[in-house]
Amino acid sequence: MSDFGSSNPCTWCDGCGNYGIWTAVKRALAELKIPPHGVLLCYDVGCHGNMSDKLSGYRFHGLHGRVIPFASGAKLANPRIPVIAHGGDGACFSEGIGHLVHAIRSNYPITFILHNNANYGLTTGQASSLTWQGQPMNTSPNSIPEATLPSMDFVFSLNPTFVARGFSGNIPQMVEILKAAVQHRGFAFVDMLQACPTYNKFATHNWLLEHVYDVAEGKHDTSDFANARAIAIDTSERISTGVLYQNMDAPSFYERLKPRENIKTVPTEEVAKVDVGEFMKEMV
Amino acid sequence: MTRVSLKITGAQGQGVNSVGELCAKGLKRAGYCVFGYREYMSLIKGGHSSYQLDISDTEIRSTETNVDILVCFNHHGLKKNLREVKQGGIILHQTSNVQLEGEDQQFIEDRKITILELPTEKILKELKAPPILGNTLLTSVVWSLLGQERASLEELIRERFGRKGERVLQMNLSCIEQGLVFLEEQKKRTHVVLSEPKEEWKNHMLLTGSQAMGLGTIHAGCRVFAGYPMTPSSPLLTFIADIQNRTGMVVKQAEDEITAVQMTLGAMHMGTRAMTTTSGGGYDLMTETVSLAGISETPLVIALAQRPGPGTGLPTWTAQGDLLLAVNSSHGELPRLVLSVSDAADSFSLMPEAFNYAEEYQMPVIILTEKQIAEALYTQSSFDQKSTELRRGKLLTDAQNVKGQDRYDPSVEDGISQRWLPGTEAETYCGQSYEHSPDGSFDETSQNAKDQAEKRMRKMDTLKQKLPEPELFGAADPEVLFVGWGSTKGAVLDAIEIGKGEKVGYLHYTYLWPLKTDKFVALSKQAKKVVLIEGNQQGQLGMLLKQECGIDIPDKILKYDGRPFFIDEIISALEDHV
Repeated sequence: MSDFGSSNPCTWCDGCGNYGIWTAVKRALAELKIPPHGVLLCYDVGCHGNMSDKLSGYRFHGLHGRVIPFASGAKLANPRIPVIAHGGDGACFSEGIGHLVHAIRSNYPITFILHNNANYGLTTGQASSLTWQGQPMNTSPNSIPEATLPSMDFVFSLNPTFVARGFSGNIPQMVEILKAAVQHRGFAFVDMLQACPTYNKFATHNWLLEHVYDVAEGKHDTSDFANARAIAIDTSERISTGVLYQNMDAPSFYERLKPRENIKTVPTEEVAKVDVGEFMKEMV
Repeated sequence: MTRVSLKITGAQGQGVNSVGELCAKGLKRAGYCVFGYREYMSLIKGGHSSYQLDISDTEIRSTETNVDILVCFNHHGLKKNLREVKQGGIILHQTSNVQLEGEDQQFIEDRKITILELPTEKILKELKAPPILGNTLLTSVVWSLLGQERASLEELIRERFGRKGERVLQMNLSCIEQGLVFLEEQKKRTHVVLSEPKEEWKNHMLLTGSQAMGLGTIHAGCRVFAGYPMTPSSPLLTFIADIQNRTGMVVKQAEDEITAVQMTLGAMHMGTRAMTTTSGGGYDLMTETVSLAGISETPLVIALAQRPGPGTGLPTWTAQGDLLLAVNSSHGELPRLVLSVSDAADSFSLMPEAFNYAEEYQMPVIILTEKQIAEALYTQSSFDQKSTELRRGKLLTDAQNVKGQDRYDPSVEDGISQRWLPGTEAETYCGQSYEHSPDGSFDETSQNAKDQAEKRMRKMDTLKQKLPEPELFGAADPEVLFVGWGSTKGAVLDAIEIGKGEKVGYLHYTYLWPLKTDKFVALSKQAKKVVLIEGNQQGQLGMLLKQECGIDIPDKILKYDGRPFFIDEIISALEDHV
């Protein structure tokens, strides 16, 4: 795990959930025996994005809301490299929500970690579409007039192939979730509930700690879509965490590309002058 | 040299393109250079569209305003395009009992125009042929009007319909026969005279600028292509997509333009060659990512196919209105290369260069094309593939000794630092959108911000020195110097060749940003007159030239009605200015 170290000191607030996720990502990669040069970590803009220079590994820190298409394009260029995309709930459920929809539908073979602290932390605590009702926030002092977006119901409505939920206070469980996500064949959606001690006064670390339970402790069938959806949505009393649903059979986007059938190389290895003589002959 | 032009008009979906393409192919095989130009509306069926073929034994790359033969699928063409018929021209139509109004009738008499009414419905009824065969019948008449041999048309028809079974083929051949019978029965002037055909054209290709650009893209080693449909960039996306099973490329029709450009950037960052294409509005959506490519020093290639804006504008027409957009788009100050194609030849040859520059200089490259180039049909010799170079600049294949801080090392003289790809066994770095230290870590210090900004912009100085000067066509010491870019070249060169061209030069800009001005300055000082010619309202290249070298060009020929420059417009402009 020390291979993933960085000399840059962390800049998050004390008690920020990103510390736990940051640790879990490094440990999961180390346990999967993926070296820093063997991974691409992509970051959106938000507090989580400040992780981009706090660890080793090939990284790219891009634009707000756009991490999913960037990471997907990178993955399609070299499907041999594991690609992990990080984005917050603001980036993923407001600015870039279209990308999430189509990534699930396309089943790109990448892992997406939703850093879910239910607000815009880096821009100083505005409401996101996942902020609870009744919470006064920066720019919405009377709380949000909009309805809160039912994120898990929404994700399940898109027929995903991998859905997990973790909690930033449980590193060992996040490590297991991330290992499964990285090894998943298609698009792995990982909702990491994280504390934001500065701006989120409702779903605090302690509140989350009291409400979460690990589905792996009971008899949970990750192939049961209906049950997974039901326990993912119902957070009224307890919040289910762990790998909630996984479809091992669905081929990824790349596997579905007919032109790539029987091609052993990857696009990054194929950059060379291509003879187009055959096509030219057909135009005479 | 004789130029002859043929315009086929009708509703979209009636077969205008199909007749036009068939004639183009046949004429090229017979030994003629053809140039095809399409006009159509932003709808699928109906409306009014046209396909014009200009035909010659010598090279032509432009369209004339008036035509020798007008073919009308329906009565609209008789009204809308009548005045475009030349003195002594021919109109072929298939509308029975058509009554032309007084002025139109007078026009026909004054110009001694021959009108031929083809009773298509009656002939097809007698043949028990379906309406679609009207296209073959019409083509047969047009073919004879052009003085072409029946056998060559039959060969084309066999090629096209042979695999659809004997019955369909025979029906088509009967239509050819009936077309000839019809023409024999006419007691009027029934053909136009083409010059002698030439052997050299027979082995040429017939292709659109989009197809040429697609071949260039594939040839350049592009392996990932993402796009979102938008006219007039769609034909390129479609061309690449249609042959994906043969090229093995990853082709993605994305959910929007932002996705398309982000996927392209991601694929480039990972280390393949990737590209996207769009038009004005779609490009607007991509500009934030262009800015990201600038600061993260990631190669990016975007083909921007221009049509008239603003807003939705004229979606199916042509323009050169997005030059300043390409040069100035995106927030912040960033290095970039903007270049423009002008015809099928450079739509092919500039694609490998676009990728080379993007990788060598690690910056966004925007290739401008226009609806006029993207959809025009060119007679083109086989592209030279031997001289193509693939240059990837400071991309390391052995990166064992590289350090993370080499990625954005601001001390490099030429501004270009080393680049190595994810997966390479080496120290890692962060491709960074925030202002960053040499290894891509956040760094907001004053000195670093200045150093990195200057490093990036130094790439523009390096690039500007490397780029070719604009190319001078026509007179070597022109007294009258025309300056332009893009598709304008075709019409200007054709006009210089047949007009009063001996003292006229045309300075053609391919590389538009960074802008080289030495040659322009020298030539404009020698010339008695300099004329700017552009397909936009403001004279955007003129604005850039003035900004970069202080020389203003007061004489301007500007066109911004969605139409390309026609050769006769340029000829009269030459007469005005020489």
